[in-house]
Amino acid sequence: MPIKTVDNADSMSARQAGEVKQLSDPETWVDDYGDALYRFALARVKDPSVAEDLVQETFLAGLGARKNFKGRSTTKTWLIAILKHKIVDHIRKKSREQDSDKLESLTDDIEMNFTDRGEWRNRPNKWAKNPVKLYEQKEFMDVLYRCLGELPARQSEAFLLREMDGLSTEEICKELDITATNSWVMLYRARMLLRKCLQANWIDSEA
Amino acid sequence: MSHWMFNCEQVSEMVSASLDRTLPFHQRAMIRIHLLMCKYCARFKDQLVVIRDACRLDDLCDEDFDSTDPLPPDARDRLKQTLASAMGEHK
Repeated sequence: MPIKTVDNADSMSARQAGEVKQLSDPETWVDDYGDALYRFALARVKDPSVAEDLVQETFLAGLGARKNFKGRSTTKTWLIAILKHKIVDHIRKKSREQDSDKLESLTDDIEMNFTDRGEWRNRPNKWAKNPVKLYEQKEFMDVLYRCLGELPARQSEAFLLREMDGLSTEEICKELDITATNSWVMLYRARMLLRKCLQANWIDSEA
Repeated sequence: MSHWMFNCEQVSEMVSASLDRTLPFHQRAMIRIHLLMCKYCARFKDQLVVIRDACRLDDLCDEDFDSTDPLPPDARDRLKQTLASAMGEHK
């Protein structure tokens, strides 16, 4: 198989991939990745039957998208990336359906974040803990996923592609059919909202 | 803050942009000066980086730290069946 040149050095997945990887045979997917995907889904959605559904959707989506596999990541990472999008979609649908268990509401009004003179209206609090430490990360990621579900769909899609899948903004533009400027605005808005949502719903921040 | 300097709103936009593209030198310099003087924007930047790091660590997290909750056997069978019949259609 010819070695494909990596077209964008800015992409995280591209940087990680030293070689072009092969997609494994879908027949082995359930045995090879079933546990990992299920565990991942269950950690985010808490409901075994929903987790199973999401894993199933992921496998089917993966099967349908085999042609798009670019060999930059392992099959497992590729499937997990699909699963993450499914999880956020599910959380979004669920939060639209039921108003209970709502996160503190978000207004997607960037102007409201700053005064006329461009000063912070809601100043960023100090975050007490460092979620990069693994033992704290689960809780943080939980809120993060729920907050992603609260974001406008296109914004959270752009954010997922950039921060979870590690695509470059160039690739995101292609994927979402938007201009570069558009993608930066969407990512900015997504980050503003997410940060605010995390601050409001993650217990460990202090003014 | 003087009028010729970037305000917090502009800095917040550029901090986000700096995560996606390389900014011109003078902008980077102006941001750095602003962040030295403004703890809120400095926090904002740190928090965006925390969010980014957490997202990128997310894959590693579930891997080694819990071997609980494997796929239940009946769910495994159902998934295999669905996948097998879907593969039949895709052939």
